[in-house]
Amino acid sequence: MIVKKASEIPNQHHHHHMSTSRQSEPDDPSASEKWAANLLQDCAKAISEKDSSKIHHLLWMLNELASPYGDCEQKLASYFLQALFCKATESGERCYKTLVSVAEKSHSFESARKVILKFQEVSPWTTFGHVASNGAILEALEGEAKLHIIDISNTYCTQWPTLLEALATRSDETPHLRLTVVATVGMGGGSVMKEIGQRMEKFARLMGVPFEFHVVRVASQLGELKEEDLGLREDEAVAVNCVGALRRVAVEERGDFMRLLCSLRPRVVTVVEEEADFTSTGSEYVRCFEECLRFYGVFFEMLEESFAPTSNERLSLERECSRSILSVLACDGDGVGDCERREKGSQWFARLMQAFSPMNFSDDVVDDVRALLKRYRSGWSLLPAQGDDSGLYLTWKDEPVVWASAWKP
Amino acid sequence: MMMKGDFEVHRALDLVQPGENWDCTPAEFSVSHHTSNPSSAMARPVLDGHRTNTDLSEFMEQVASHFSEASPGTDGFPMDTALPTEKFTTSPDEYRPRKSPRRVYESSVRGGESRSSKSLAERDEHGLNMITLLLECAVAVSVENLAQANRMLLELTQMASPYSPSCAERVVAYFTKAMASRVMNSWLGFCSPLVPHKSILSAFQAFNNISPFIKFSHFTANQAILEALHQKERVHIIDLDIMQGLQWPALFHILASRANGPPHVRMTGLGASMAVLEETGRQLSNFARRLGMSFEFHPIAKRAGDVDPSMVPSQRGEAVAVHWLQHALYDATGPDNNTMRLLELLAPRVITLVEQEMAHAGSFLDRFVESLHYYSTIFDSLGMSLPFDDASRHRVEHGLLSREINNILAIGGPARNGEEKFVSWRMELARRGFMQVPMSGNSMAQAQLILNMFPPSLGYTIFQGDGTLRLGWKDTRLYTASAWTSRPTQ
Repeated sequence: MIVKKASEIPNQHHHHHMSTSRQSEPDDPSASEKWAANLLQDCAKAISEKDSSKIHHLLWMLNELASPYGDCEQKLASYFLQALFCKATESGERCYKTLVSVAEKSHSFESARKVILKFQEVSPWTTFGHVASNGAILEALEGEAKLHIIDISNTYCTQWPTLLEALATRSDETPHLRLTVVATVGMGGGSVMKEIGQRMEKFARLMGVPFEFHVVRVASQLGELKEEDLGLREDEAVAVNCVGALRRVAVEERGDFMRLLCSLRPRVVTVVEEEADFTSTGSEYVRCFEECLRFYGVFFEMLEESFAPTSNERLSLERECSRSILSVLACDGDGVGDCERREKGSQWFARLMQAFSPMNFSDDVVDDVRALLKRYRSGWSLLPAQGDDSGLYLTWKDEPVVWASAWKP
Repeated sequence: MMMKGDFEVHRALDLVQPGENWDCTPAEFSVSHHTSNPSSAMARPVLDGHRTNTDLSEFMEQVASHFSEASPGTDGFPMDTALPTEKFTTSPDEYRPRKSPRRVYESSVRGGESRSSKSLAERDEHGLNMITLLLECAVAVSVENLAQANRMLLELTQMASPYSPSCAERVVAYFTKAMASRVMNSWLGFCSPLVPHKSILSAFQAFNNISPFIKFSHFTANQAILEALHQKERVHIIDLDIMQGLQWPALFHILASRANGPPHVRMTGLGASMAVLEETGRQLSNFARRLGMSFEFHPIAKRAGDVDPSMVPSQRGEAVAVHWLQHALYDATGPDNNTMRLLELLAPRVITLVEQEMAHAGSFLDRFVESLHYYSTIFDSLGMSLPFDDASRHRVEHGLLSREINNILAIGGPARNGEEKFVSWRMELARRGFMQVPMSGNSMAQAQLILNMFPPSLGYTIFQGDGTLRLGWKDTRLYTASAWTSRPTQ
C-alpha cells in the first residue's frame, strides 16, 4: 500500500489539529513518559488499517518530536519513524540497501573493534554468551587433542582469546585448535576478517597454542552454507558456536539449517540469541511492530544507561539497530542481506530439539557467568530457564534479554 | 552578573531635542561574506594536512560566494565577497583579541589518536566529502528532488556524528537531520512546528552559561535602555519574547540604585506559554520587591504580530522601551507587518533590537548557505571552549542550535506557515521612519566586560560600526545590537 502524498489527497486537513494561535496552553505531547511508544504504535495501527489522514498526522508529530541524538524516547521515535515511513511509502528495501552499503564503506577493522570492545566494557550483553559458550565448549572437548571450532557469530572473534588462554593453561597437553569463521555479508569486507585472523594467530602464538584460522564466506544468505565449505577432518572434535547466528537464517530455512549443523557431527553446539520474536509477518504487522518496539526500547534504554551521553560507539550500535528495525518492519525479506527475524529462547529450543539434545551448563560455568555479571553496573542478572526450555537467560532489570544454551547430538 | 560602578549616561541622548537631526549614518544591511585572509583554507588542495576542521567557517564563506553566483535572482541579500574589513572593525586594537593558534584545544583533546599526516589528510578528505555531499543534497532539496535528496541524506546520516571532535562533522550531522525533517514535511504536504518550550528554555540557559552571545545582547541592550530612560519616573518595558526574563534583573538593579530612586516600572512580557510567563512574572516581581522598586508585570501569551494594540495600552507620562532578541527557535513575532504596526502605535522612546546576522527569510538555498556559515561559526566557538564529549555543549548544540537549524531550513523558514517575514528588521525600522540611536561608548564597555568573562585567547570579536555593536567569532559577525527611537510626532 502506498500512502499518497498529502497534495494528492482531496480535502487534506491542513492545520486541523495544529493550532498556531496561542490562546490556550500548547499541547506538549512529549510531556508524558513513554510518548514515543504511544505515537509509534498508533501509527503502526493506522498503517495496517490504511487510515491515510491519521498516518499523515502521526508521521508529522513523530517528525517534529524525534531526534537520533536526543534522549531514549526521541531516538526510538526517530528510528521507528524511518521504518514506518518506508513502510508507508514501500521504499524499505531501497532504503535498507543504501544504509547497508554506506555502513560497509565506512566499516573498518579499527572502527568495528572499537565499538564492540567498548560495548563489552560497559555491558555484559555479548560477554554473557561468550562466557557460557566457552565454558560448555571447554567441558565438552575436554581431553581432545584436535579441536575444530566452527564459529558463526557477530562478535568479531572477541570470544576466543579467553578460550585460547584457558586451553593454554590446561593441566594436560595443549590441544591443537582450528578456528573456522563463517562470515556473511554484513560483517565487513575481506580486510576486516584478514586483520582479525592475523591478530588471532599472533595471540595464539603468544599463548603457545597450535592454531589455524580460516574464513568461509557465504555469498548471500547464511542458509546457503554447506558442509563441504567447512573442510571437516576425520580426527578432530567439532564444536559449533552460534552467537546471533540462527536469526540470520531465513525463517523457512531454519529447519534445514539445524539438520546441516547436525551433519557436522559436533560434540557440542552453543547457541546465543537475543530474546525477542520478530517472526510474525504480513497480517500481523502491528504485533510484530509492538514486539520490535518492546525489544529495542529495552536495548536503547540499556545503551543509554551503560554509555556516556556523547558516545560515538553507542551511536554506532544504535545505527546498527536502525538497520535491523528497517529490515524487520519495512522489508519483505527476500534477498535483502541478513535476515534479522529473532526468535525467543523457547522457540529456538523447540527447533533445536528436532536435531539435538539439550545440555545443561555445569555449576562451574554458571558460577563463571555470575562472576562476570558482578563486574558490571547493577541491573544485570542471571535466570536459569524454567519449565520446558533449557539454558540461561541474561536479564536487564528483570527482563530476559539474551538466551544462551548448549546442545549435544 | 551585576554591573559595577556608575555608568554615565551618554550625553548625546540628552542633547537631542525634537526636530534636531541626529548624526547617524543609515546603516547598510548587506551581509558581507569575505575572508580577511583570502589565501587561506579552501584555495589549497585537500591533502594539505594543515587545514583544520575549525576552518570550516572560512570554507563556508568561499562556498557561500560560489552559491550566490550560481543562484541568480536571490533578492534581498547582496553577498559582497570583497567588502573591506576596515569599515566595521574598530581602530583600537584592544577590542580585537589576538588571533589564537588554531586547533590548539582540539588537538589536546584528541588524546591517543594517531596524528600522522596521513590520518589528518584522511580525516580532512572525509570532512570535505561530507560537506560536498551536504551541499549537493541542499541543491536537490531546493529543486524539490526529494528522491535524490533522500538518498543522499541516508548516506549522510551514516557518515556524520554530532559527538565528533570535528566541528564540521557535528554541523553536518545537524544539517542532515534538519533536511531529513524538511523532506518528510515536504512529503506530508504541510509544515507546522511542535515547540517543546521547557526543553528549549533549559537549553537556552545552558547556552547563556557557556557562550557570551546572550549576555552580550542583554547587557548592551540594557545600557541603551538605561540611557533612553534617563530621569524618567514612569517606564514601560515591553519584551517581545521574554522567556525567563534573564535580562531584566541586571537592569532593575541599576534602576533601583539611581540617585533619585527607582522609577515605577511596568513590564509587559510576551511569550508562547502562559505558565512560563506567569512564573517569569513572579520571579521578576519578587526581585523588584527585594530592591524596593515599584513594579507591575503583564503577561501576554501571544506573538507580537498577533497582539491587538488595545492589549498594550499606553499610560500618560510613561517612557516606553521595547526590546527584542531575535532567534530561530520558534516564531516569536508572527506577522511581521503587524508587529511593525504595533511598534508604530507604541511610539517607543527606545527600541533595542538584537538580530542574528543570518537570513531568516528568502529562498531555501539562501537560508541554507547563510545558516551553514553562521552555525559553523558558532559550533567552532563552542569547540574552542569545551571538549568534544562535554555534556552541556551537546545539550546546547542539540537542544538549541539544532532546533534553530531545523527551523531555518524548514519549509518557509522559522515561520513555517507562509506569513510574510522581514529580511532585515534594521532595514524595516529605518524604512518606517524610526531613527537609529548609535550604540554608545558605554554599551561598548558593557560588551567588553562580557568578553572579559571569556578568555581573551578565544576568538570572540566585537565589531563597531554604523551605530551598531556586533559580537562575532573571528571574522564572522553573529549578533548585531542596535537601538532605535520613534520620530516625535509634533
